Amino acid sequence: MFNSATTLPGGACGPGLCGGRCKQTLKDGMWANNPISIQILGICSALAVTNKLENSLVMGAALIFVCAMSNLLVSLLRNATPRRVRMIAEVAMIATFVIIFDQFLKAYYWDMSRSLGPYVPLIITNCIVLGRAEAFALQNPPILSIVDGAANGLGYAAVLAIIGFFRELIGSGEVLGRTVLADNWYTGNQVMIMAPGAFLALGFLIAFANFIKPPQTEKTK
Amino acid sequence: MKGSSIYTIVYSAVLGIVCALLLTGVSTLTEPYRKANAAAEKMRNILHVLGVPFSAKESAEELIRIYEKSISEEQYGALRVYVYDGAIAVPFSDLGRCGLIKGFLALESDKRTIRGVTFYEQEETPGLGGEIGAKWFTDQFKAKTIFGPDGQPGIRIVRGGGASETNEVDGITGATMTCNKVQAMLNGAIEEIVEEFTENVQ
Amino acid sequence: MSETSPLLILVAAIFTNNILLASFLGMCSFLACSTKIETALGLGTAVVFVMTCTTAINYGIYHGILVEGAPLLSNDLTFLSSIVFIAVIAAFVQFVEMFVERFSPKLYHALGIFLPLITVNCAIMGVSLFMVLHKYSFAQSMGFGFGGGVGWAVAIVLMAGLRKKMGYSNIPQPFQGVAVIMIITGVMAMAFMGFIGMVSIQ
Repeated sequence: MFNSATTLPGGACGPGLCGGRCKQTLKDGMWANNPISIQILGICSALAVTNKLENSLVMGAALIFVCAMSNLLVSLLRNATPRRVRMIAEVAMIATFVIIFDQFLKAYYWDMSRSLGPYVPLIITNCIVLGRAEAFALQNPPILSIVDGAANGLGYAAVLAIIGFFRELIGSGEVLGRTVLADNWYTGNQVMIMAPGAFLALGFLIAFANFIKPPQTEKTK
Repeated sequence: MKGSSIYTIVYSAVLGIVCALLLTGVSTLTEPYRKANAAAEKMRNILHVLGVPFSAKESAEELIRIYEKSISEEQYGALRVYVYDGAIAVPFSDLGRCGLIKGFLALESDKRTIRGVTFYEQEETPGLGGEIGAKWFTDQFKAKTIFGPDGQPGIRIVRGGGASETNEVDGITGATMTCNKVQAMLNGAIEEIVEEFTENVQ
Repeated sequence: MSETSPLLILVAAIFTNNILLASFLGMCSFLACSTKIETALGLGTAVVFVMTCTTAINYGIYHGILVEGAPLLSNDLTFLSSIVFIAVIAAFVQFVEMFVERFSPKLYHALGIFLPLITVNCAIMGVSLFMVLHKYSFAQSMGFGFGGGVGWAVAIVLMAGLRKKMGYSNIPQPFQGVAVIMIITGVMAMAFMGFIGMVSIQ
């Protein structure tokens, strides 16, 4: 489930801040190795909060922050962390950043916090964050790890935005709360706002991603 | 040394303490804002249902200020009433279909005509029962009366639409259970109002 | 704090508010482990057990320690609840893993890596978080925890059965793999929505 073959040779930095691998890591996280459509991780929240575009964007921002910061911390401590408590230590670090984000949300964006509900604390169990910590941050230097975390977060946010856009548009005729498809001729398709619509939207999105970029039978890295 | 148990314990303890300290720090820092937001939410709903003018972008402190300036809270027995220029708002809270529903019912100073209804906490199914929070549903209540043509107190949420009387509103298709629960809790609040303000009723 | 009976919450958690088909929790292991019915059944049972027990423990910790004015520690430590919950779940799963390895090596090998992965199953954490959000009593939390686990198990076993049948179908190339599973899950979710009339919570 966690593909672990993204170690850099020697883990050392080459020329420049991250050995010239920044651009590649960024592209990988966002497209070639997109957490949702390719790695198929972090699905729970992708389904839950995409009923409105606004929620999707905030969730995306949350994940970019948490993934980048936790990757940074895990990478900084990668040589100090004993193997036995490795996973629990990662979860503790992730949980800390998630709670920090949650607290700030409750303080400065109260309405958003209520909309997203328990799904912000659930980022702790989001497979993407733990997966990247496990598969990348443990073997790679800090700067590169931040880039990877941010890239995966951005890839996730992009997918969430697309799903959120379509679900809100088809489900209620609105985008970001503003009516786009006028009330007088368009009756919202309620299914898209509810649970089944989420599954269907994600299914079609993944199929579309597969269509554009057919998966190889064995991904070699 | 890294593989030894002592190191593991020390590492875990240090990590645990650092995380706890960091979280406590952030929590203490944001506490005044979070508490203000929670308090302001209830106030925002009271202000909204009573029609007190305020901008949606007001900060929590501003809202609290506006609230304290415009609203007076009065206690009539077990009933807590929020008064603004003669109009009153009464809270109601009861179990909906999926979870707790909390809201306010606002009446004009004649204690008969409804100024508005707002639901500020509910967990009903979005698109179905959740529509009670939608503007189209709550707007229906404006200018309706809490008394039926027969003079008896109580409103009706009509299933299938076609509400005609001054104390009837249209229900939500596919959310009969939620509507029944909402009707019951609104009528509960109406009963309490009628009991306390009987001298205003003919 | 509400009067819904725990049994009703249990039944609702399995059918009308299925933790996976309605609340989207536990998707990752659902996708990974629904290939064979035996694995699905084994994992489902493990999840039921872990979910019920951790909900009980988390309830105790939340109301005994973290809440403001709790019997053991009166400060408001609810901001630590997420991190405490996940720690409890991780420790419990570790304990279960050791227990299973000792008493049933066959089951241990069958479950493989998926046993420790129960720790990050969002459903288990999610149930504890929902229990806090909905302010359930202990009996209600137990109903919710057990029902949630059974609901998740039902969903994954159903999917395993369907995937076995799908092996004979001609699925267009872009849809093969996760895409068609999502679509089928969507249809399953719609089917489960049909249960809404079954449970009347009053």
